[in-house]
Amino acid sequence: MQKTPFFSGKAEVTPKNLGEAIQQAIEIEIATIPVYLFTYYSVNRVPDQDAISGALAQELTRKGMETPEANKVALRLSAEIMVYANKIGATIMSVVMEEMLHMSLSSNLKQALIGQPHLTGRSPSVYPACLPGHEPEFDINLAPFSLDQLMTFLKIESPDPLPETTPLLKAIPYKTIGQFYDMIEKCLEKYDKKLRYSTDRPQLVPGRRYYANNNIDTVYYDINHKAQYMDADDSGDLVHVVDLKSAKKAISQIVEQGEGNTGAPGLNPNGSVDCKPLNDKDYDDKDKKELSHFEKFALLYCEYNELNEKFAQYGLQDINISNYFVLNVPTNPTTAKYPKADKYPEGTIQAVSNLLNAVYTYVFIMTEGCYQADENTQYEIFMFGIHKTMIFILNSLCGDIQGLTYTENGQTFQATATFENYPFGLMSSPKSQLIELYNEAVALYPTISYLAQRFQDLPDVRLTDSPRGK
Amino acid sequence: MSKKSTKIENLGSSNGCGGGCSTPAPAPPSSGTVVPTPIELHVCMGLNACKGHDRYGTNECAGMGLCATAQKHNCHTLNNCRNQGGCGLYGDGEEQSNPGNNDCAWQGSCAVPIQAERYSTQGENTGKSVWVLARKLFEERMKKANRNFGPSPYKCGPPQAWLVESLGSYDSCGNSGNKYCSFGYNNPAEDAKELCEKSEPHLCGTANNK
Repeated sequence: MQKTPFFSGKAEVTPKNLGEAIQQAIEIEIATIPVYLFTYYSVNRVPDQDAISGALAQELTRKGMETPEANKVALRLSAEIMVYANKIGATIMSVVMEEMLHMSLSSNLKQALIGQPHLTGRSPSVYPACLPGHEPEFDINLAPFSLDQLMTFLKIESPDPLPETTPLLKAIPYKTIGQFYDMIEKCLEKYDKKLRYSTDRPQLVPGRRYYANNNIDTVYYDINHKAQYMDADDSGDLVHVVDLKSAKKAISQIVEQGEGNTGAPGLNPNGSVDCKPLNDKDYDDKDKKELSHFEKFALLYCEYNELNEKFAQYGLQDINISNYFVLNVPTNPTTAKYPKADKYPEGTIQAVSNLLNAVYTYVFIMTEGCYQADENTQYEIFMFGIHKTMIFILNSLCGDIQGLTYTENGQTFQATATFENYPFGLMSSPKSQLIELYNEAVALYPTISYLAQRFQDLPDVRLTDSPRGK
Repeated sequence: MSKKSTKIENLGSSNGCGGGCSTPAPAPPSSGTVVPTPIELHVCMGLNACKGHDRYGTNECAGMGLCATAQKHNCHTLNNCRNQGGCGLYGDGEEQSNPGNNDCAWQGSCAVPIQAERYSTQGENTGKSVWVLARKLFEERMKKANRNFGPSPYKCGPPQAWLVESLGSYDSCGNSGNKYCSFGYNNPAEDAKELCEKSEPHLCGTANNK
């Protein structure tokens, strides 16, 4: 497990270590992003219903069901699989978007009280990783969708403390993310007269179209093709942090979106998932339209078991329903350890994976750049840089790399994004290095040739000085 | 459909937009003319303010054009210029309330043209048809300008299947699947009718959207 030492500070937040504490909060948020993204890209949101339905009908007939009935049951079960697979994607994407929002809210907090937030190179560098300072530690893997992976997500977002183990020594310890933010909030309240909020330093503020609660990727369709929206319009937005009131607003939004309102139940005492009906505290918005991250994942967990039970009712308990929509991707892959791709030259996966990691890292470089830029420059970096990179380059490459397969121990795997911190050099700009990486990758893997202009269109944002833990 | 989009590069001294239906179509390019006169750029079927100003240059009247004159694109912020962005699927509530009415290049909310099946995902129009909203805004603009206009070739906008047939290919963005029909379970015609009726009941009537 990767240890993430921050500083040898006290187990409390004070004005002296406030900057380090908020930086720790930022890195807690960042640590969740690659994990959720990895699992998101392990799911085929729109599997082939005809293939699923046909195979199920065949299996039901084999078990003695009359063909017309078998076709009817198979159609229904396959439609439920389609809904569930798409819902997994919508759920995880809705959470990832809010984790990026939380990273920005914490960064605003740091910018207001201390100065430049540091984001580049702060994703976990080794997996299994852990949340910085979380007690107890638990393994966080880059893993495809499964009930085990959902349990990891539930631990990350748990509103209740997890069972005790040995405490950490080198970061501010906490038992839930909400508890950690509570320590920061208490410090802000206690020392309010002493703390100074900058209103000059740039922040990512509301009203500039940087954040929207829903988009087409946070939507899934129910069995009657009615669009279901994972997030609510009133569930949150960016906050310009300028005083204690706005700081508390940013913090409460982070905590409530993750864990729900105060008193929201977590895992059962024995560590199992509570599948009882939802209550008001499980929501994070006043209209009760959006569940907390914890409850979104709990719902997926319970629905997976319900779907399994439905299959069992028809004697299909031996079928692993995940096989219908989870891709065969490795757990905790690294660029360096990927073997040679089938049907492509040596180094192809490495070239594409390096490019992808550089793109992923450049998103953080651009975000840091937003905290140093004037309003219009910030807008251009965000809308033409970050936004377009995420939708048109990163998302595309995450799909394209899965077109590369390799064989290991007789089994075929799809290569997938590793979300590693790319070590940009200082001799040239990150953008020019991105273009070089693209040229290397496209020479080996022409599938990505359509992205050439996208790289040329990126804004040129330089690396910032980013000392660890400051 | 195999009509060519030659008229989009129309040249001439007049853009032919003196009246919505009563004036002649724009003059064909005269020999020796070198200064191009742009025609109106709009984002979809039924949103043209002028006769002869659709992708094919053949429409008889304002509001009756077959297809967009703005450059086709498939997602958020890929529009070339002001008022050339589509709408729905991505962007905040304000962006998604203004199809074809964006302030600047790279500020449109979604793909052009706007297929009938597209809906808004944010703001007051959430869950309702983007094209119907675009048409409503167009009609309001025309009425305010004291202009006549005709009915759209499709009452609820161009179906995606028609766009694919007309343009050779067509797609709008997103990973959540087919906006028209998810499963073998659904009734696409009923879905399309319901979206249209929910969005603007007076515009729609039949399942086939004609």
